[in-house]
Amino acid sequence: MKKLLVLALVLLLAVGSLFAAAEKEAADGVVELDMYHYHNLADDTATGQWNEIMAAFEVSYPNITLNIEYQNNEPFHNKLQAMAVAKQLPDVVYLWPKKRTGYVTGAGLIKDLVPFLGDKVNEFSPAAMTPQGPNGEIYEVPQQVTATHVVFTNNKILDELGLTYPKTLDEMLAQGPKLAAAGYIPIAMDNGDGWQMQSCFLSALTERAGGMDWYNDVLVGKASFSDTEFVNALNVIKVLSDNDMFSPGINQAPYGNALSDFENGKAAYLIDGGWRVQSLVEELPEALVPYVTLEAFPDIPNQVGQSQSTAVVAGTGFGMNANLEGTKADAAWDWIWFYSGEEGANIRVGHGMIPSYINADMGSQHPLLAKLVDFLNTKPAGYVIDAVVDGEGMGVLHPGIQEMMFGNKTPQAVADEFEAWVAANDSTRNP
Amino acid sequence: MDFREKRRSYWYLVGPAVLIYSLVIIFPVVVSFVLGFTKWSGFGSPVFVGIKNYITMMKDPVFLYDLRNNLLIVGTSVFGQIPLGFVLAYILYRKMVKFGNFFESMIFLPITISAVVVAIMWNRIFFGNSGMFTSLMRMITGDQRWIMAISESKSGAIFPVLFVILWMYTGLYMIIYLANLQKISPSVLEAAIIDGASEGQILGRIILPSMINVLFTTAIFAISGSLKSFDLIFAMTNGGPAHYTEVVAIYMYINTFKYYKYGFGSAVSIMIIILSVGLITILNKFVRRIERKYE
Repeated sequence: MKKLLVLALVLLLAVGSLFAAAEKEAADGVVELDMYHYHNLADDTATGQWNEIMAAFEVSYPNITLNIEYQNNEPFHNKLQAMAVAKQLPDVVYLWPKKRTGYVTGAGLIKDLVPFLGDKVNEFSPAAMTPQGPNGEIYEVPQQVTATHVVFTNNKILDELGLTYPKTLDEMLAQGPKLAAAGYIPIAMDNGDGWQMQSCFLSALTERAGGMDWYNDVLVGKASFSDTEFVNALNVIKVLSDNDMFSPGINQAPYGNALSDFENGKAAYLIDGGWRVQSLVEELPEALVPYVTLEAFPDIPNQVGQSQSTAVVAGTGFGMNANLEGTKADAAWDWIWFYSGEEGANIRVGHGMIPSYINADMGSQHPLLAKLVDFLNTKPAGYVIDAVVDGEGMGVLHPGIQEMMFGNKTPQAVADEFEAWVAANDSTRNP
Repeated sequence: MDFREKRRSYWYLVGPAVLIYSLVIIFPVVVSFVLGFTKWSGFGSPVFVGIKNYITMMKDPVFLYDLRNNLLIVGTSVFGQIPLGFVLAYILYRKMVKFGNFFESMIFLPITISAVVVAIMWNRIFFGNSGMFTSLMRMITGDQRWIMAISESKSGAIFPVLFVILWMYTGLYMIIYLANLQKISPSVLEAAIIDGASEGQILGRIILPSMINVLFTTAIFAISGSLKSFDLIFAMTNGGPAHYTEVVAIYMYINTFKYYKYGFGSAVSIMIIILSVGLITILNKFVRRIERKYE
């Protein structure tokens, strides 16, 4: 019994000293924030940029200490959901603007940042400040606006073969045999994971085939993914696949193979997202930089949408726990603003990113970055499908596209299956 | 020691193990069973939906195709790894080849490597635009667009995965059989040889009857392991392309943790248990019949 009493006393003292330490920290004016960040520490490019932002933040805000937990890919979302279920979200969380992290933003667990932003909303590109909640809420301040469809073009190869960037799908198809005969891959692309074809190509083609009015009607159920417009968009992929325009084994290739082929001068075109500029800035041979241009896919048959259109989505950023108040909420906002506002934006520009903050210093940008800025400023844009349709629907669409490319399904069958899922399950159609 | 003391000792000794087993095995299975009759996304209260999850599952062509892949893995394990493991163990035990220790180590080696490493290694060999096997074949055929077509075939895409499963796990069974073969008394074999027994008679009359229980145990491992196979395939192909190499455990993982359908995912996990127990029961009956033959 005596031993038990002694043990209890020791435990009580230990817990008491912990609380005392916490109070002391608060009295010192240092605010500690728990942060959950989506980041792969093995990614040298992203880690270099992250470390620079962190170092600058520590200098500007010595009174804020960030306790960071890193995760990436599915484990990030699994843990975030577990935290949400347990209602134990950290103070600051990395979030997506639309449906990807809808399981926390839609559950009222994240604070609306509109009151914090105020007039600063005007310091961001309009695409970044599109509402993220049903009542105009902004849950995270997007660090960038992303074009998910860019046709990176190696003009050195085109010049060598006497070709120019095609204006139509037929012209592009006609280039295929010439490029293949010269030993080049016409269009380098990976689709082993399934999302690349949808996000980096089909999304742009969908607007191109049907136009924004039709696209908006589809999302609310006034039109359908079974319509000829969407089938036409899918058919472009089918025709390119049937004519061996894509990388061989495209549906087996992990993400990254196509980029290597393009950087090594093995492919005339690379279809990928605008984010690939970051890798190209670091990895593309210096001599090749002047030859690389950023284009949108040529016009397609029966086109209703805008010529040269791409697909854009507001980027990711940080949001704060809905329960934060007072000093902690102010400290969390200091971090969010630092990350997505001027300071963070200027650092990101140096690493090949286009920030959503429009007053960033773009003076020292790499030539490829300048081309991406020009691309974003001049190309019209539609939606990215996986940003406007629930994630589970991609489990129907992605394999459907792959089966279509293997010749096991027609574009109409893929469109019908996708429409059936969206009509029955999608949260926009079935609120 | 009276009866009450005996019973108390029994509970002291067995109680902690029963408690831990109940907490980590029985409780999750029961919760999973109950959740299998609900619709639950992780938020709010689960909504009772009866057997709807099971009906949806059985009507889903993806689940049925995954089940087909699982059964092929069971087949590869039971009719591939076990016989091959036994034959290799028998060859080594009867010293039919030289350098037995070297072969034993080489065949066992794959099982000592992490499944994820094995998966990534074979993925790099077989798949993609710059895989080792692909590059070699392009060099041989001169066709720069050559790819391993079987990996894009709906019925055939699983076969490279089956090959890797056979390559990886056969060594494990071989070691188990070898250890059990070494338990057979050499004097029995010597007596059989003196009596003029042929190699086939030694195998059929002495060795196989002695190994029935081991074969049965390894078959249970093979069946249960095959039905819950996940890591190797997930890391090697992620179930793709187009669900062609997907198995039920990946289907469960995606539905549960990617689409947040905890009720549906629980129903799938219960289905894995039902299939596992069903196949092991059939195997049990088959083995009892064989045992009776040797009694």
